[in-house]
Amino acid sequence: MSDHDQIYSTKLQDKIERSTLLMFVLTAITVAIGGIVEIVPLFYLPNTAMCQNDPTCNGTTHKDLQGNAIPMDKIIWNPATSIHKTLDDWQPGDGVRPYKPLELAGRYVFIREGCFLCHSQMIRPFRDEKDRYGHYSIAEESMYDHTYQWGSKRTGPDIARVGGKYSDEWHRKHLKYPRDVVPESVMPNFFFLENAPVDAVKLTKTMKVMTQMPFNPVPKTIYTDAVIAGAAKEVEGKTEMDSVIAFLQSLGNHVKFEEGVNYRD
Amino acid sequence: MSEKHNSAGDVKTTGHVWDDDLEDFTNQPPRWWMLGLTASALWVVVYWTMYPGIPVALAGTHFKGLGLPGLSLHLPGTDPKDDGKWSAIKELAQDQAVLDEVRGPYEAKLKTMTPAAILADAQLSEYVARSGKVLFADNCAACHGQNGVGTRQTGAKFAQREQGLMAPILLDDDWLYGGTIDTIHETISGGRQGMMVAHKDTLSVQQIDDVAKYVKAMSEEGGKEKADADPAVAAGMKVFAESDCTACHGADAKGMAAMGSANLTDKVWRFDGSLEGIKQTITYGVNSGDPSSRVAIMPNFVAAGKLSPVEIKKLAVYVFKFGGGKVDAPAAPAVAEGPAAAPAATN
Amino acid sequence: MEATNATPVKYDMDVVRWFTIMAVIYAVVGTFIGVYVASELAWPFLNFDIPEITFGRLRPLHTNAVIFAFGGCVLMATGYYIVQRTCATKLWSNSLAWFTFIGWNLIIVSAVIALPLGLSQGKEYAELPWWCDIMIAIVWVSYGFNYFMTVGIRKTSHIYVSNFFTGGMIVMITYLHVVNSLAIPVDWATSYSIYSGVQDAMIQWWWGHNAVGFYLTGGFLGIMYYFIPKQAQRPIFSYRLSVLHFWTLSFGYVWLGAHHLQYTALPDWTGSLGAAISLAMIIPSWGGAMNGMMTLSGAWDKLRTDYILRFLVTAMAFYAMSTFDGPVMAIKSVNSLSHYTDWTVGHVHAGALGWMAMISFGALYHMVKKLWNTEMYSEKLVNIHFWVALIGATTYVVAMWVSGIMQGLMWRDYDEFGTLSYTFVESVSAMHPYYVMRAVGGAIFNLGTWIMLYNVVMTVRQANAVRGVNAVAAKA
Ligand code: HEC
Ligand code: HEC
Ligand code: HEC
Ligand code: HEM
Ligand code: HEM
Ligand SMILES: [Ca+2]
Ligand SMILES: [Ca+2]
Ligand SMILES: [Cu+2]
Repeated sequence: MSDHDQIYSTKLQDKIERSTLLMFVLTAITVAIGGIVEIVPLFYLPNTAMCQNDPTCNGTTHKDLQGNAIPMDKIIWNPATSIHKTLDDWQPGDGVRPYKPLELAGRYVFIREGCFLCHSQMIRPFRDEKDRYGHYSIAEESMYDHTYQWGSKRTGPDIARVGGKYSDEWHRKHLKYPRDVVPESVMPNFFFLENAPVDAVKLTKTMKVMTQMPFNPVPKTIYTDAVIAGAAKEVEGKTEMDSVIAFLQSLGNHVKFEEGVNYRD
Repeated sequence: MSEKHNSAGDVKTTGHVWDDDLEDFTNQPPRWWMLGLTASALWVVVYWTMYPGIPVALAGTHFKGLGLPGLSLHLPGTDPKDDGKWSAIKELAQDQAVLDEVRGPYEAKLKTMTPAAILADAQLSEYVARSGKVLFADNCAACHGQNGVGTRQTGAKFAQREQGLMAPILLDDDWLYGGTIDTIHETISGGRQGMMVAHKDTLSVQQIDDVAKYVKAMSEEGGKEKADADPAVAAGMKVFAESDCTACHGADAKGMAAMGSANLTDKVWRFDGSLEGIKQTITYGVNSGDPSSRVAIMPNFVAAGKLSPVEIKKLAVYVFKFGGGKVDAPAAPAVAEGPAAAPAATN
Repeated sequence: MEATNATPVKYDMDVVRWFTIMAVIYAVVGTFIGVYVASELAWPFLNFDIPEITFGRLRPLHTNAVIFAFGGCVLMATGYYIVQRTCATKLWSNSLAWFTFIGWNLIIVSAVIALPLGLSQGKEYAELPWWCDIMIAIVWVSYGFNYFMTVGIRKTSHIYVSNFFTGGMIVMITYLHVVNSLAIPVDWATSYSIYSGVQDAMIQWWWGHNAVGFYLTGGFLGIMYYFIPKQAQRPIFSYRLSVLHFWTLSFGYVWLGAHHLQYTALPDWTGSLGAAISLAMIIPSWGGAMNGMMTLSGAWDKLRTDYILRFLVTAMAFYAMSTFDGPVMAIKSVNSLSHYTDWTVGHVHAGALGWMAMISFGALYHMVKKLWNTEMYSEKLVNIHFWVALIGATTYVVAMWVSGIMQGLMWRDYDEFGTLSYTFVESVSAMHPYYVMRAVGGAIFNLGTWIMLYNVVMTVRQANAVRGVNAVAAKA
């Protein structure tokens, strides 16, 4: 093994190639940089929906067409300032809210069945997506989505605003046997969800976990002890099918969007 | 193992050898490659300064980039000084403006016109036919099928399924609610929820059996004669005339557009047209509140905030133009059966 | 059992043999599931109304099987093989290597059970439940520790370039896996990410892209830098290029994750960071591809007779192709069309089938010959495998490129009245022929892996038989 040869790169490189430790450390630094620059600011810059304990969400301000700031509690539901104080009273347009118990149970099924592999939940600001799916999605809309579900493939259509588009009855028929209602569909039959009851124990635990998240937890003023304690009762007798439908129907109508306003800035 | 050095001319290796015979030549990377690498680095720096690329907070927002020379992008009604700085939302505003320019003149007219007037205007109705397509497919085809052919329960787990159409076929001339442009418009604006009471408490099993046979006979060739031949059918006819059926379906059983009751004398079945299916409809009703009731809800898209008045008009014209729409007078040639997806025998 | 030639060093090769065999088996399994998944999209009745095999549960099984089972075993087999031979030393710890073998395969078994049951964390390629994540972390760190310690006790003065790449992969995957997997468990089956929305998306794609960049690319470049010069019996074309390739790739790739989130609710600036560097990555990547290909200059004629070399060189061509395709897709305006479509899937499989699987096949054949100190049972079958794989991969990729671009164009098409021309469902039915074509291409590719499995099994049996005879002869 020849040693002490001429160096064909640089002295530093030669040194690195001779030292396992140096190689390790320098590699470890090099591969860390890009991620840090891209990720860390997402936790403190405005417009990233990082809102925990901070009603301004790192100083996020959306401005209406007159240039006036839109109060953040118009975007994110805040029971303290809203006329609707509880999850049950909440109305579409009141602002982004966490999932109701049955919806949260449905979200679990959604993830379990891998729906996100065919359905995105992220409408991009393009005119065709606006015509097809509705207003572009904004950061705040997924701030309570622990394990985000934006998706990366549209084998099926985007469902970010599918809530209210169809009746519950349609969803039931469609989810059970999609080709009954859409003959060209390639979606699997999910009729088996109809036979499975919602797991209330799991749901209760999930709600607790959601309030314990280090980033953007569900405020305890919304998932109050009473709400969590009542969850099991609320989903009594409900099937997983009911829960997925509730989840789907909850998507996309939280924020009342004004035409022409830039909600990404 | 010696031939590995032969064809390389005078290029040397670095002198290091691993695993018996692994070596590196001391060739320089090609010139174009080194230039490319430098250019890439420059490209990155330039791109990051032109486009928003530097994550630093400035008073309430972040660095938006220097902007691109020659690029003119701004949101309507916003600070023109912002001009030239790229953002995804400005790009949207620009694209949208192009689209609005094309649609604008049509849309402006649609706002004030009635569906009937739109239908009469050749160019506008063509525009509407086009823009209605995706509206229909995304909102209505789910129940009424692509192009209004209807959607029917078919498929593997036969026994587990409710039978019948999800919603009426829209391209035939059989209408629950009349099928004029105005009633269609009314249906789409307000939704529909035709109601037929359950008869399980008012009629005996025998009566239901009879009236179902009668109803089935009415839609068949030579049905009238059957009433004479088959005592059950004759009994059914009596039940039909004497219980509440005629109140909704009319004495001639041809249905009443005012309440959306079905025509029972044709071959078009909303639900299951088999004897069992008909019995089921009669026994439990339609939207009757009974747990076994047939469900027939046409949603209210306006109340749900899903469709605007103009979109509703578009859809009304679009549906009418499937070909089955009725021009007030009863005219319109009979289409005996719906197309492919239309009623199929189920047992 | 010790390996080869006149080398004075005794290597720990048993664990490599086992990883090699498992890699071949998982190649068959992973691509078979791929074919099934592809067929489900072409003929949905194949879901058979069985929850465990519906598309949504089987697709993660496919991706995990090819990436972690097949890819992982290839990386561990070649990693242990290369590090010993280029450091001229045994493994730092043979038992730790066996621990990684058992651990990794246990993880794979867990995945095969967990994913069809629907135990998913809902993040692509990171679906496995939290306790699997912990197992992965332990096994991976053991692998890394053993690897770096072995480099540490090397007998050579310099570290060979393959080990830069593998080392880089080990470090980066550790970061990625730990940060992206942070989650709070609800129960043994379910857990939720501690991040949400925008932050979770960025962290997921920082992980997702670099699983591609460091694991499916970096690790396999380590393979390339060893097996191409070995098989061609030529020195690497340019040492400086190797060095530049390594550092530019390591620094640059890390930034690319944001190109998966172009035009989403991720702030514009993050997308720009990713887009700019993505385009710039063509140059480093092509430098690497060129370094591999040019290593053959003066020995191109070998391609006529050396089928293993064909795999290796074709892989470099696909590497160059997918590292052109990728950067183009990262351009904002192109991504606006390609994102969410099959174009992405085409790109993925150009990389996965053409580059990552092809280079693996080449390396596996090379190792089988060396590890069992024999010739292949049938060289002809190696050649057939090559052609079958090439035809299968090309069919797949072409089908998806066409369908992806068509999808993208249909979705955004407007007629002269300014209204959308196509409904979503029309795009779904337009995809049918391409989904069929993809399934056929995939089946062809999968056929190749069966051929390889047969050939390898026969080779090993033959080698063991010979060894048996020799042993008997020696005794006599
Ligand atoms: C194999 C891919 C695939 C999977 C997995 C899948 N879908 Fe779909 N989905 C589709 C396709 C294709 C369509 C469009 C055709 C149709 O409406 O059936 C669709 C349509 C839909 C629609 C109607 C959306 C609209 O706006 O028209 C909803 C809602 C939906 N799916 C929900 C789900 C849910 C919930 C799951 C998981 C339980 C799921 N999908 C799993 C492919 C899939
Ligand atoms: C959830 C399923 C569903 C959807 C979605 C739906 N419909 Fe309906 N539609 C029905 C049902 C059910 C009826 C029959 C109502 C009744 O019997 O009272 C109906 C009736 C109609 C009728 C009257 C037919 C007649 O024979 O008089 C028209 C017209 C119509 N729908 C048009 C539309 C249009 C346009 C859309 C889309 C904007 C639409 N429908 C969406 C279920 C649906
Ligand atoms: C309260 C009003 C009402 C009464 C009373 C009523 N119907 Fe109906 N019936 C309807 C309506 C409305 C529909 C159509 C629902 C739809 O298509 O959405 C209908 C549908 C039907 C159908 C299904 C037709 C098809 O195409 O599938 C049958 C059969 C029927 N009625 C028979 C009867 C008989 C027999 C009686 C008396 C015993 C009766 N109905 C009494 C309102 C009534
Ligand atoms: C016979 C060969 C293969 C076939 C038929 C096949 C088929 C498929 C199919 C049908 C999908 C789902 C695409 C979709 O959702 O539309 C997929 C996804 C994927 N496959 Fe394969 N595959 C094969 C081999 C491989 C190999 C060898 C790899 C190696 C890494 C691989 C990696 C992936 C990845 C990463 C995805 C996810 C792509 C994405 O999310 O965009 N596949 N494959
Ligand atoms: C410089 C090189 C590369 C660049 C810049 C690049 C870029 C991209 C882009 C822009 C996407 C699409 C993201 C989206 O729109 O969703 C993508 C997806 C993907 N690429 Fe690459 N790519 C490169 C190389 C590779 C290679 C070599 C492989 C395979 C081994 C690969 C595997 C993948 C996978 C698996 C995905 C799918 C991610 C998903 O699930 O959505 N890429 N890449
Ligand atoms: Ca994906
Ligand atoms: Ca995981
Ligand atoms: Cu990427």
